[in-house]
Amino acid sequence: MTRLRITGGMVHDPANGIDGTVGDICIENGRIVATLPPDAPRLDARGLVVMPGGIDIHAHVASSSINQARRLLPEDHAGAPIAAPVLAHDDNGEVLIPRSGSGGVVPSTFTTGYRYAGLGYTTVFDAAVAPVSAREAHAQFDDTPIVDGGCYILMGNDALLHRQIAAGERERAREYVAWLLGVTRGYAIKVVNPGGIELWKRNVRAVGSLDDPVGDPRVTPRAIVETLADAATALGLPHPVHIHCNNLGLPGNVALTLDTMRALEGRRAHFTHLQFHAYGGAAGKWSSGARQITDYLATHPEASGDVGQVLFGNACTVTADGAVEYLLHASSGRKWVNVDVEVETGCGVVPYTYRDRAAVSALQWAIGLELFLLSPDPWRLVLSTDHPNGASFLSYPQLIRLLMDRSYRDAQLATVNQKLLAGSALADGIAREYSLNEIAIVTRAGPARLLGLTTKGHLGVGADADITLYAPDADRARMFETPRHVIKGGTLVVEEGQLRRAPAGARHHVRPTYDRAIERTVREFADRYFSVSLENYGA
Amino acid sequence: MTDHVVEHATCLGCGCACDDITVVVREDRIVEPERACSLGRLWFGTGAVPARVRTEGARDVPLASALDAAATLLRDAARPLVYLSADISCEAQRTAIAVADVLGAMLDSVTSGTAGTGVLAAQRRGRASATLGEVRNRADGVVFWGVDPAIRYPRFASRYAPDPVGLYIPAGRRGRVVMAIDVGTDRAPADADHRVAFTTDEEVTAIELTRAAVIGRGAGGGSDSLAERTRALADGLRGVRYLAIVVDGEPVAGRDPRRAEAMLRLVEALNGPTRCVLVTLRAGGNRSGADAVMTWQTGYPMAVDFLRGAPRYRPEDGAAAQLARGEIDTVLVVGSPLALPDEVRARLGAAGHRIAIGPRASESPYETDVAIDTGIAGIHEAGTATRMDDIPLPLRPALRVPSLCDTAATLRTLAARLVAGRAARRPEVA
Ligand code: SF4
Ligand SMILES: [Zn+2]
Repeated sequence: MTRLRITGGMVHDPANGIDGTVGDICIENGRIVATLPPDAPRLDARGLVVMPGGIDIHAHVASSSINQARRLLPEDHAGAPIAAPVLAHDDNGEVLIPRSGSGGVVPSTFTTGYRYAGLGYTTVFDAAVAPVSAREAHAQFDDTPIVDGGCYILMGNDALLHRQIAAGERERAREYVAWLLGVTRGYAIKVVNPGGIELWKRNVRAVGSLDDPVGDPRVTPRAIVETLADAATALGLPHPVHIHCNNLGLPGNVALTLDTMRALEGRRAHFTHLQFHAYGGAAGKWSSGARQITDYLATHPEASGDVGQVLFGNACTVTADGAVEYLLHASSGRKWVNVDVEVETGCGVVPYTYRDRAAVSALQWAIGLELFLLSPDPWRLVLSTDHPNGASFLSYPQLIRLLMDRSYRDAQLATVNQKLLAGSALADGIAREYSLNEIAIVTRAGPARLLGLTTKGHLGVGADADITLYAPDADRARMFETPRHVIKGGTLVVEEGQLRRAPAGARHHVRPTYDRAIERTVREFADRYFSVSLENYGA
Repeated sequence: MTDHVVEHATCLGCGCACDDITVVVREDRIVEPERACSLGRLWFGTGAVPARVRTEGARDVPLASALDAAATLLRDAARPLVYLSADISCEAQRTAIAVADVLGAMLDSVTSGTAGTGVLAAQRRGRASATLGEVRNRADGVVFWGVDPAIRYPRFASRYAPDPVGLYIPAGRRGRVVMAIDVGTDRAPADADHRVAFTTDEEVTAIELTRAAVIGRGAGGGSDSLAERTRALADGLRGVRYLAIVVDGEPVAGRDPRRAEAMLRLVEALNGPTRCVLVTLRAGGNRSGADAVMTWQTGYPMAVDFLRGAPRYRPEDGAAAQLARGEIDTVLVVGSPLALPDEVRARLGAAGHRIAIGPRASESPYETDVAIDTGIAGIHEAGTATRMDDIPLPLRPALRVPSLCDTAATLRTLAARLVAGRAARRPEVA
């Protein structure tokens, strides 16, 4: 299909200031165009809501660490065998083999692609790719159909970077970052628990302050985030540094989160899964720190974030943050995988169940909703569950309903453990309900803008023809669970609610230029401390 | 291309996947894989492999007719098995799994007949581990538990531990404590700093007692020799900052199957008092790659049954057991026919039809209906393979043999035929 006119839908295209206006969208050769000849094929969208395709700014779908989680969960997969879809035969001659898979909280790759598309999502970024395993991450994306993908490259605990910081060579660090992004085909700089993974390798499990030394006194969480934030800006990367702060999941961590935000005041930075970093109080007396975060965001337009919402049910925590997984394993007694990754980073996995009857789970759920509902700007605080950490991406429709439907939300609130909720904003009552346009912002337009994806997240002329059409339904979960049609790059992938086509997605990556002198530094370091030849490193 | 040199080639002679090999080629033969160990030299050989395409009764047939024959046999099979053997790339594995999926076949790999016990234990229990480079850079204590890597993993000691200098181990070997645990006749390296011996019968109890001592639940004043040895061992293990315990993940005759899980529990318990990681040695030929690829495509690392149209895990009833019961009527072996575990090779005869696609398929030690010789991943074929610790490495083939089929491409063609055949049989409702 090279041409299509989508006629008469209610268009929600917040990036272009369009909020539910009835109009046509024209597609030609995978892009949105201004007009088409009158005889172009039509898709009748009367009565349907038309939005750009969804964009997941932070998920774990294609990396060596998510594969560790997949491998650890046979019992979860056993409950969800997924048959191959019945795909339409296209004329382009390419033989696409529809593939079966496993569902559950960490689905297999083909199933992941089909299911994202089935929700109307067309772009997904994997938020934690170890450079030395980047080749595997790309291979997994190759087996994740339909959606465009991209990799955030883990850098905050990189030994060479730490050496550069210790030597006061922050500008040189920038060259290294550029080299690393190029060689791994990465899209953005990811920092996980800056310095804290290196400390975990030394059996230190929490960071006291942003100025804790990590080996060398000049290497601190503060120095690491500053260096990498500046590198992203100096290199002109489309997405700013993507930060998972220190002490994820620990009570009282909101103070350190705010310290990190303040450390980067005036610099562009994206703070991810803020829910997991917004806890006040102390052990046994957790409280919500959501308002402190949203207050900060209100006055700091340079800062952005995603929520990392928790939803009740089974999840699987998987992160480069080995320390937090050790602590979660120790406190929950659930099985635990740890992989310390040479020179660069770590990996931990612990399956986890969030229970509405458990005080901390209920608080986490409430904090995520507070972040959304107190958010000063949906463009800068976007939707994520940190799939599969807070919940599966499959629960986005349920989350959307919680945001759009106060009575549904309040009914659920009344049933959860109240112990830690006293005095929280949510318990006091928040009337806000997200509009369809705000949903379009937190799931499409906002992520696209934060990611610097100029041809995604909107429906203006020149945009990629990634489009989702929903049938309006008072039950917003049902509405967002089953799009009527999904178009990816001009191909009708979901037709009348059925997955019909599964073209390969594209990969987004950057290749910033750098001073070639850095290659010598890397080589000297690699020759001594890498276990793979530099020529074989990367992707 | 007759005389040339390929640098940074990856050897798949064992799971160490040394990627620093310089392969010297003269007159289309490998004459020297520089830096490879003796095992690696054997694995590279001269690179001479047969390049035949055979069907029953016909010695050399066009590839297209061999694939037609294979597709027909597989399509007509009531219960096909796709079996992943060694020496194929991750790309070939990915396509072979697609073939199994399309067929609704049983899918299994060498792992389930060899390292499967350890994989299952790690799925039940979890696993604290590290990549080999991290062990090299950080481990100040290395325990070789019932294994001397010099035998099956010859360059392990010099590339990973204990010999090399590491980021935090500037003195190399002298900066590490090496503990040798002999188990029965399985001797750990001779040049260890400390040595403890257990009988095979004692082993699992010894692991459990060591764990109990680590977490402070030792059997008190027990003074029998096992209690004493494990208490002393526990003290030694706790005394290092970053400990690597190295075990052999490949089958070791006569070992108690509970050993794998007991070891995982010990390693887990050592985290807390100190940091500890388990290194599980795996054989070569990209065996561990099959685990990774099967996991991402199906959710399970081995023994997957597509019979009901979606993957189901059957680790207790894998290829060997189903062959033994005579349930499998057609087998497609992808990869080297020589790497099959005995329990599978011995039972292949029970299947009515055998198709072999892989290096030296035409010289399979069992009769084949169709045999298609392909190249050895890493010698004739490019692509990706994983090291025993899941680190992916590119393959740099030194030889290009134009008459040799490419494994992944051959499987892709086969899969396409099967899909087309299926569509023809089951016309789609518009
Ligand atoms: S140690 Fe293993 S991978 Fe390395 S050269 Fe020897 S056989 Fe090859
Ligand atoms: Zn994450």
